[in-house]
Amino acid sequence: MTIQIKKFGNVLVSRPAGKEAWLAYQPVLNEYPGDEKIIIDFADVAVLTPSWADEFLTPLYKRYPGIVKLQNTKNPSVKASLSILKLI
Amino acid sequence: MENKLISISKAANLLGVSIDTLRRWDKAGQLGSIRGGLRGHRFYNLSDIEQFTKDELNLARKWAESSQGVEPESDIYCQTRDIFQARLEVLQKKLERELPLVISSLITAITGEIGNNSFDHNLGNWPDITGIYFSYSLKNKIIILADRGQGILTTLKRVKPDLVDAKEALKMAFTENISGRSSEARGNGLKFVREIIINNPFKIYFQTSDAYLSLTQNNKEVIVKQASSFIRGCFAKIDY
Repeated sequence: MTIQIKKFGNVLVSRPAGKEAWLAYQPVLNEYPGDEKIIIDFADVAVLTPSWADEFLTPLYKRYPGIVKLQNTKNPSVKASLSILKLI
Repeated sequence: MENKLISISKAANLLGVSIDTLRRWDKAGQLGSIRGGLRGHRFYNLSDIEQFTKDELNLARKWAESSQGVEPESDIYCQTRDIFQARLEVLQKKLERELPLVISSLITAITGEIGNNSFDHNLGNWPDITGIYFSYSLKNKIIILADRGQGILTTLKRVKPDLVDAKEALKMAFTENISGRSSEARGNGLKFVREIIINNPFKIYFQTSDAYLSLTQNNKEVIVKQASSFIRGCFAKIDY
């Protein structure tokens, strides 16, 4: 399963927006059996902050330990945010 | 001093305000234009725009320092987080046109963190004016953010009651994973700002209460100093 982060917007900065993204995605996750990798794709994301990422990625990592993979993380703000959250 | 004339739309773009605001400022004598062409269009001296930005910095400081809270002009006032998000996206688009992505994405990210921090820590508790002051100049490559919130010391004292002053609180906010929103695992925001500044050709001045710090590229030390003025909330100036 691949989650395209750009579908939540391309300037992803606030905690409430990250939390809302996480909550809005629950119906999809609830139907996911968790039997394969979850790929988080950051393609076309212009700006990411640790605040947004913490609200979406931290609970995702907790719920699916060991199967979350990150993709297209070259954007400098994506890289810096993932790094401060110790996800890369 | 540069005496190049620029159009009203270019001036508006550089100052990050609307054309209507510039017309209003012109009528009010705040920022005069030069009329030219057959239709009497407004033009601006680039040097005037530069000077105005310096004044703008003073205006922002005065707004943050004043004992009486007043709502700023609508173009620079983000009463809610949604307005800030919308204006931040406009800034990102403008930066993308002028700068490589490596710069624009990081500038917008740290601006977003600082602005949202103000909302995160003052929601429901604004002492007078709700929201933040947010202005920028593409010409002078500066971004100004200010709030009239409770300030970092008051916020952090809730989780660290033994904090003695704003200097200690400011240092802690930029160097430790700590948040005034207890019971929530958070507090990366200003540390992230610091990481970005020391690894890139940017600068930041940040003041809360009577304490301030300046961070620059390659300078890992966080030295907090005594400010000569008092700002109850927070005031930040980013140079890029």
